[in-house]
Amino acid sequence: MKGAMGRLFERFGNEGTTREIDEELRFHLEQLTQAYLQQDMSLEEAKGAAVRRFGNVERIKGQCLAIGRRSRPFLVALKSFLIFMLLAGVVVRIRSTDLDIRHLGDLLIAVPILSRLFLYVRDLNPSTFLSKPETVSPLRLNEDVQPLFKAYDQGMLTPVERLISDK
Amino acid sequence: MANARTDLMQGTLELLILKTLSRDSMHGYGIAQQIHAAVDDLLKIEDGSLYPALYRMEERGWITSEWGVSENNRRAKFYKLTRAGRKQLEGERANWERVSQAITRILQTA
Repeated sequence: MKGAMGRLFERFGNEGTTREIDEELRFHLEQLTQAYLQQDMSLEEAKGAAVRRFGNVERIKGQCLAIGRRSRPFLVALKSFLIFMLLAGVVVRIRSTDLDIRHLGDLLIAVPILSRLFLYVRDLNPSTFLSKPETVSPLRLNEDVQPLFKAYDQGMLTPVERLISDK
Repeated sequence: MANARTDLMQGTLELLILKTLSRDSMHGYGIAQQIHAAVDDLLKIEDGSLYPALYRMEERGWITSEWGVSENNRRAKFYKLTRAGRKQLEGERANWERVSQAITRILQTA
């Protein structure tokens, strides 16, 4: 029970999402570092090369966090539940004549309003704005490679076409 | 500031990811390796930029993810194409081929 409550509160906040993103990005960086170590680089060089190839870890983490937090099905369910709770509170408040039950209605109204306010304030985090789709593709042509002889293969396919082709 | 000469069409990365995942479920590192290998380093991409794209694609329902164990026994998040993702891939591929054919035709005639 305590574990379940802990998981619930963890999901309510961002800790779960942040930890998952951290673990996923760390796995990638460690795999890259291992690959560079196998190319006879020192640990320091391998770590540096891995970070260069990976890009700005904090920026990427911020973007992932903003998207991950927004898309969690749990949040959608939670917001629906809060709306239901609010409506139930209003109905209880209107229809009940018993003072104690009306207080329960007040509680049912107050909890979802405060919870929604909390979610709103949390979403004001600046990293939310980083999650907007990129206006340009993060893919670039590699200028260090001369594409004249390699841009098209024997089947006259460009690299992108070669990858998406089933041939 | 993006270099106009080296920019590629927006959505190209998503297309490459969809195609890579159409063969098998993979973790982010595996996807990056596959793409690097397939394009012979002619295209430049920071590996990390795959992740916001993956998260957006998951948000749109094109892919799903689950934690599993990697080939070297590490915990890793694996991505898998959904039915909607497969449909998206077909649409994107048809679109790419149409644009590609149109540009090739113009370049040949102009």
